[in-house]
Amino acid sequence: MSDTALAAPPARFVVASQWLLMWWAFRRHKLAMAGLIVTAALYIIAAVPGFFAVNDPAKQNARTAFHPPQAIHFLEWTDSALPSLRPYIHPYVLKRDPVSLASIYAEDRGRKIYLSLFAEGYEYSVFGLFTTRTHLFASQDARQPLFPFGADRLGRCVFSRIMQGAQISLTVGLIGVFLSLLIGVVIGGISGYYGGRLDFALQRVVEFVLALPTIPIWLAMAAALPHDWPAALNYFCITLILSLTGWAQLARVVRGRFLSLRTEEFVTAARLDGASEARVIFRHMLPSFASHIIASMTLAIPAMILAETSLSFLGLGLQPPTISWGVLLREAQNIRSIATAPWLFAPGVAVVIAVIALNFLGDGLRDAADPYNK
Amino acid sequence: MTDTSPADRLDTAATSRRSVLAGFAGAAAMGVPGVALAQEAKEAPALAKLVADGKLPKLADRLPAKPLVVTPIETSGTYGGQLRRGLRGSADHNGILRMVGNQGLVRWNMEFTQVLPNVVESWEVNEASTVFTFKLRAGMRWSDGHPFTADDIVFSIEDCCKNSELYRSVPSPLVIANKPGTATKIDDTTVRIAFEAPYALFLEIMATPLGQHPTLFPKHYASRFHPKYNAGVADLVKAANVADWGALFRAKLGDIEIPARWGNPEKPTLDPWVVEEPYTGGATRVLMRRNPYFWQVDPQGRQLPYIDAINFGISQDVESLMLDAISGKLDIQDRHIDTLQNKPTLSQNMAKGGYRLIELVNSGSQQCQIYFNMTHKDPKMRAMFANKEFRQALSLGIDRAEIIELVYLGQSEPYQAGPRPGHPWHHAALAKQFTDHDTAKANAMLDRIGYGKKNAQGQRLHPDGSKIFFAIDVIPTLYPDLVDTLELVKRHWAEIGIDCKVNTIERALYYTRGDNNEHDVAVWPGSGGLDPMLDPRDFFAQHPQGSRYAIPWTQWYVSNGKEGEAPPDGQKQRMKLFDEARGTADLAKRGAAMKQLFDLTAEAFETVGVCLAVNAFGIANTKLRNVPKKMPASWSWPNPGPAMPQQFFFG
Amino acid sequence: MLLFIARRLLWMIPSLAVISVLAFVLIRLPPGDFVTNYIATLAASNEVVDQNTAAELRARFGLDQPMIVQYWKWISGIVFRGDFGFSFEWQQPVGDLIWERMGLTLLLTFSTLLVTWAIALPIGVYSAVKKYSFGDYFATFFSFLGLAIPSFLLALVLMYVAAMYFGQDVGGLFSEQYLTAPWSLAKVWDLMSHIWIAVVILAVSGTASLIRIMRANMLDELGKPYVTTARAKGLSEFRLLVKYPVRLALNPFISTIAWLLPNLVSGSIIVAIVLNLPTAGPLLLQSLMSQDMYLAGAFVLLICALTLVGTLISDVLLALADPRIRLE
Repeated sequence: MSDTALAAPPARFVVASQWLLMWWAFRRHKLAMAGLIVTAALYIIAAVPGFFAVNDPAKQNARTAFHPPQAIHFLEWTDSALPSLRPYIHPYVLKRDPVSLASIYAEDRGRKIYLSLFAEGYEYSVFGLFTTRTHLFASQDARQPLFPFGADRLGRCVFSRIMQGAQISLTVGLIGVFLSLLIGVVIGGISGYYGGRLDFALQRVVEFVLALPTIPIWLAMAAALPHDWPAALNYFCITLILSLTGWAQLARVVRGRFLSLRTEEFVTAARLDGASEARVIFRHMLPSFASHIIASMTLAIPAMILAETSLSFLGLGLQPPTISWGVLLREAQNIRSIATAPWLFAPGVAVVIAVIALNFLGDGLRDAADPYNK
Repeated sequence: MTDTSPADRLDTAATSRRSVLAGFAGAAAMGVPGVALAQEAKEAPALAKLVADGKLPKLADRLPAKPLVVTPIETSGTYGGQLRRGLRGSADHNGILRMVGNQGLVRWNMEFTQVLPNVVESWEVNEASTVFTFKLRAGMRWSDGHPFTADDIVFSIEDCCKNSELYRSVPSPLVIANKPGTATKIDDTTVRIAFEAPYALFLEIMATPLGQHPTLFPKHYASRFHPKYNAGVADLVKAANVADWGALFRAKLGDIEIPARWGNPEKPTLDPWVVEEPYTGGATRVLMRRNPYFWQVDPQGRQLPYIDAINFGISQDVESLMLDAISGKLDIQDRHIDTLQNKPTLSQNMAKGGYRLIELVNSGSQQCQIYFNMTHKDPKMRAMFANKEFRQALSLGIDRAEIIELVYLGQSEPYQAGPRPGHPWHHAALAKQFTDHDTAKANAMLDRIGYGKKNAQGQRLHPDGSKIFFAIDVIPTLYPDLVDTLELVKRHWAEIGIDCKVNTIERALYYTRGDNNEHDVAVWPGSGGLDPMLDPRDFFAQHPQGSRYAIPWTQWYVSNGKEGEAPPDGQKQRMKLFDEARGTADLAKRGAAMKQLFDLTAEAFETVGVCLAVNAFGIANTKLRNVPKKMPASWSWPNPGPAMPQQFFFG
Repeated sequence: MLLFIARRLLWMIPSLAVISVLAFVLIRLPPGDFVTNYIATLAASNEVVDQNTAAELRARFGLDQPMIVQYWKWISGIVFRGDFGFSFEWQQPVGDLIWERMGLTLLLTFSTLLVTWAIALPIGVYSAVKKYSFGDYFATFFSFLGLAIPSFLLALVLMYVAAMYFGQDVGGLFSEQYLTAPWSLAKVWDLMSHIWIAVVILAVSGTASLIRIMRANMLDELGKPYVTTARAKGLSEFRLLVKYPVRLALNPFISTIAWLLPNLVSGSIIVAIVLNLPTAGPLLLQSLMSQDMYLAGAFVLLICALTLVGTLISDVLLALADPRIRLE
């Protein structure tokens, strides 16, 4: 037992609800807490990306095309012995190679551009309610913007684009993931729990869904949706429709487990106890393979984010100018980026962080919910 | 053969002995080694060996009496080598066509200004430009050695192109005023093609890829699959398990631009290289080897091509072509890798990959032509897009300098439409009108024509109070630069109160929306920079898939008023002027008619352009010689074909 | 059991019939048709199709007829003559096109599958047993790295590094000189020296997700009372794991066999495109994108048939692996 549990007065054990117990168990899991904090941070970014961005993510600038990432110097060494905490950057000077048209940047070590917290920058809107110009941090000189992760081919700030991309990547696709999980668990559960003719019929449906190609559906959907909708809404509709076909795999897995579980004693006991069928399925049978479901969920999330990338590879799904992690990675998928601008792969790091955070969060939830867990 | 090994010589001797036994004239047989020596410089060593072995007739018997003499671009070359080039996935048959298949009746000169003899030795045209008499090369042969005569051309036109079971309608290069031309054989080397109306452009069109039909079908081979010549064709159709003889014919002989053209190694052609490993669904490369009967020579009388074989590697992804390019695995390539964005990477790796850059002059005129749908189905939108001042105001609202600097790396200039600067028909007003960035004037114009009302966000409204909004169709996988351009245009237009959406769609949808007249606005590169006669889609409603500002008008034009919608008078005048110009052989008179046409186009201001089409580039192995430093890039001048790859060589 | 299998096999006939209709409708669902796509493809290189030719092609391919007529033409050919039709694009029989690529496709996907399972299952079990150990975190971190990096991006980077720094050609399955050579020991060796890169890249994301799923399934089992009981009875740890929890944890994998078979044909298309592998995937994609109907239709039918067979096999195996499941 951890310190927290021991420190709690014994009386509280008596009145602690199941949820409270789970929260205590969860809090003991350090990685899960870290996962929770990172996930929360990511969703705050997704809610107000403009605040965290340092430059307008859509603003192109010929003078900063393929600008390399800039190191931020936090401590300023002056004549006095102790350095002062005053973050600054060295600006870069651009020359263009006349033959290859490539941009060549040189760091100007002689000059310093200071950064400040809560600085004024470009105007952005918060939840579409009001607009503001305050950013978490920015360069004090508007003509010398800061590029923490460099800039892309059109001189757009990669860092700010990653912030902006979190909005779509962490919301739109995930709704599709959850929906297909829900359908998958319900249909798979019913199919496996009842078995027999119902199972037979449902399995034929699953076969259809597994077998039909999805690319033509994407193509047809892209054509059918009204073109005056914003791209993100279009994409949301497409993921919604596709989640109607994406549930089949999970449904089969869940059904396989239910087939083997439904003869178990604890299921019979619950049934004899008068529990409703829904309760037997969701309260008794489902938790016994919660890990699997959580794992499928955490696996579905990167798959969904990356599905955007594969789809835009085919000219479907989200397309620039919409900003999402998948679109950013797709834009980096060429020899030019690998050869001259590897910082364009930074969105991949964002995906890794998000996925790992969500996974540890999921693991923590599972452990906390597991009554056998010691 | 100066460097033949003793074994080879023994072989040769053996062959000649066999020849004697077979009853050939002893003198000729004895002469074989000597002939081989004398011809060593005149044909490729591999062919000389075949001749020496008696497997191939002598060079003199393979070449026509008067072969086409090609003057090399730099110097006469040496034989040998294999040229590597890349194709992308499937449906890249035109990548082969451009390199190999440009053996039409006539061809373009390097400058894309003049038509020169090619398969034909010479031609005559009557005063009215209706009758074209072509003189063929006596003794010219197909790649299997069978003579090429007037019969082949007559067969191709009369029995194939005009056969309604094979072509439901006659290919349009052979049609003028809705009547197909008639081919008649005068003698073995003279053929006449006659039209019922003047067709001065005929020779130019015959020099483009779509004009290759007359030399596409070898009669002696193709007639096997043609019911008129082979009564048993039904059995062949059944054996091949296809629907009809037309399907079999196409599978065996292909057409100008379908993969099957390069899918049958048996098919005789007139090309410098012939198919050895065909272009089929499962292929990972296409290999083409020299045509021993190729009918062109260099000034020393040495048979072309210099290079032994062409190896087209098939990459599924454009990026792996880029990788092949920078690691020096391609000898000449521009196709698929020639976007401006790739230029820095390609030029940085020149030394490493052992290649140089060649410049390709864009034959188009406009990098990003914006087509407002003036025949929109919604009357409100139609009224707006059809308003000339609306289009002019929007043109003034674009900051072209910013787009050029940002998207095109400073390599262009503000431009609307029309032949490129330097072209004799360049039209200053058409090219440069309304290309200034003048928001004040744009705003004033929009206010004046009834779009002065604005909502709270400062966005302009239709006269009925609804917000102005339209979608601009663009295909991101095809033209990523246009998406970037449009993003900037969208921002510029937002500044004058016009709201729009960059509608990035998949290519089939783009075409379907156009075909059904469902688009608001669409973009595409503008054409007619170097070849205004061949692709005038931006000058009047000419192309049912290209002139996207008024597809129904184009349908009216191509169907002679039977379908679509009647265009306004200015359009009808231009349609007449173009038909007139097409029938005029005298270049000065043709130019005058086109000048009138351009005046009308400039006055009507249907399309809005951004900047002059940017030159592309290609790479060539530093060892590959006789490649021009600069050539046009066009479909009508299918680069690098007219630069004659048969005279390229490895030095 | 035999009765069950026989009944299921009989059911496949109506299933396939329904799927064939659905597939045909789906393939034709996107806007445009083969001719539109053909025009669009050529336009991509600024190449123009003769107007007359375009109309002519539509009539030739029967695209101007009602869908029901087209469907009948297609399905009757298959049922009565075993003729899957001609590919519009290649003017080649569809059957030849598909079989030509099937051999290498199966070889590649089976080796990938083996590698994936061989790596992922033991690591997954280890991760679960030694939960929250250093090894577990290590495996977790790398599996998520593998998941979060799109495999086609990885492929491109590997190709770049190999080409630019080692002068190696990574794409494709054969060296230039063996491309069209007849099969020989040297050619097999050449294939082997190429195929492993593709296998590794293809296996990365599959391995990663398999590790996670195996770990999760094991965790579900390890907590159960029967494991404690077995341990109390003094069963050796290894025997204990292999005899019960691992066997039960495999249950979800057996369920996945249903789409394992079709995935052999249609999986990892984009990696195959980037790596330039002559497998069936790129052909399938191209046929769907260009609406090359008969080719796409044959592919979809093949995939459907494999799905049906796959679900059957998986149901039979489920019952064999777990005595609690009965087939009825």
